[in-house]
Amino acid sequence: MARAVSRVARPGGPGAGAAALDDPGLVAASLDDPEAFGELFRRHAPRLHAYVRRRLGSTLAEDVVAETFAVAFRERRRFDGRSAFGAWLWGIAAKQIARHHRQETRMYRAFAKSAVDPAEDGVAELASDRAAAAAHGPRLARALASLKPKDRDALLLLAWGEMSYAEIAATLDLPLGTVKAKIHRARTKLRAALPEEDDHG
Amino acid sequence: MDELDALRGMRTALAQEEDADRLALRVDWRARPERPARLRRRSFTVPAVGLVATASVAAGALVVVSVAAEDERPANVSASPGGNALLVAAANAERAPGGRYWHTRTRSGEIYAVGDSRAHHYKVDSRQGTETWTDRNGSARTAHVELADVPLTAEDRRKWQAAGSPEWVKIPNPEGGSEQALLDMRTESEGRDGWRPGEDDYLGMTRQRIAALPTRPDALLSDLLGLKGAWRAASSSTKKEPIGALRGEERIRALTDVAGMLLSTAPAPPKVRAAAFRMLADLPGVRAEGPAADPMGRPGTVVSLPLVTTVPLGLYTAPKQLGTYRRQWIIDPGNGRLLAIRDLVAKPPRGSRPLPPGDRGQSRRLEARDMPDRFHRPGELADYTVYETTEWTDRSPS
Repeated sequence: MARAVSRVARPGGPGAGAAALDDPGLVAASLDDPEAFGELFRRHAPRLHAYVRRRLGSTLAEDVVAETFAVAFRERRRFDGRSAFGAWLWGIAAKQIARHHRQETRMYRAFAKSAVDPAEDGVAELASDRAAAAAHGPRLARALASLKPKDRDALLLLAWGEMSYAEIAATLDLPLGTVKAKIHRARTKLRAALPEEDDHG
Repeated sequence: MDELDALRGMRTALAQEEDADRLALRVDWRARPERPARLRRRSFTVPAVGLVATASVAAGALVVVSVAAEDERPANVSASPGGNALLVAAANAERAPGGRYWHTRTRSGEIYAVGDSRAHHYKVDSRQGTETWTDRNGSARTAHVELADVPLTAEDRRKWQAAGSPEWVKIPNPEGGSEQALLDMRTESEGRDGWRPGEDDYLGMTRQRIAALPTRPDALLSDLLGLKGAWRAASSSTKKEPIGALRGEERIRALTDVAGMLLSTAPAPPKVRAAAFRMLADLPGVRAEGPAADPMGRPGTVVSLPLVTTVPLGLYTAPKQLGTYRRQWIIDPGNGRLLAIRDLVAKPPRGSRPLPPGDRGQSRRLEARDMPDRFHRPGELADYTVYETTEWTDRSPS
């Protein structure tokens, strides 16, 4: 079974003893004490936000993360404790990201055309990033723009979300084999988009 | 450059994690208005095992073969019929060697029917694995192991080859829905993921608590009866309750699950393992039967649990299968080890049942024609977990 997100419990947060509870315990506690959900935000938001920002850029990312936690909070009674809270949360986030599918694709296309990544607008790039982006970024962006939404989800959860296949399956609520097929298909497209002389290494 | 590495090198400046408190100041999720027009859902309650438990596998119908095990080591306790193999295992578990690291490798498989009819189908074992290393200080690391899916038997392999040895095999999605399900038969997808920190949670117990568990079976039992968890197979409540609050089959199921964990992946001291075997021997309806090989082909002794459903433990709003199953352990009494746990089909799936909406609100329905075991006969293998390695060792983590 999948465990999606490694969590760091922080001592001394708001809500006495909240840091000692595991994630399902916090969800249960939040039914009576809504403040307990704040600890779940502290545990899960930084990683989720970084992932969403990488896909949609800074402006949209805050909106998507806020909406994700708002939905999770409202629906917390329906949290299926069989999957990890992280998988459930990231599944909700995947749905929110999907609502911005066209905008995401537009940004990849613009990057592919102009070699300037609109998602990174206003973010200081590292010089090494710029070099890598110059080499591969636009090509990758073009390939990403061409992927089916669910294929892109699965691939980016692997590459940017650093999840295992099993975790991706739990997050997207798909059978494991389906996830493998999607990633296989997506990788093949990306490989085809990269220059030939770059062999596997 | 690998395409995945290339992708990992893209937009890295955006991937920096921000401090949680600073993020909380900017992202005001509490103030979000609720979007209207969400359908109101029926409240959903399912009797825990009631749905599946009515078809009992009559315990009396099982042939009980008392395994004397004289060829192993003498059991020094006189046992109820069938209990011998467990007590022999207990005596030997106590003598297991220690080591600096606790190392486990497990592999689990689910058996899927591929094809349109009972006459024209083959079965595929869909597999995955986990490897964990834990040191004496309690720090642990774990990795997911990808394994290719394989035809279950030589006959199944022949049929798969006759179908052109497809790399991807299509199967119905057991949970319905429009997404097609696929099995990955490619050996090139095999491999171990990167290591990540292991969690210190064994069905609600920490490693520290496991190390301090009682070593007498009756004391172990009363300790475990106080263990809180989401033990019921299906429940709409997130409330945790102690095992002692359960009755009958549900209590046996929870206790055998905890015992199975203590005897396999948990870093339990040898004396605790011995106590777990002895506790099991005393549970009503648990019996040792004849010899059998585990899914890796290792010889052992079957221990049948008196359960007619193996819906996994834990919070879930409804069972996800339409058949009933009986659970067996395969133990190696001579080495005091639990080799594998397997579920055999008792009653093949029939009919259909609505599932509560998914986590993301999608409607779902279980149909017998989508079930992995739709062509299984009673007694055939539905799923298994095999404990390839469970040992204390001085060998350094690979």
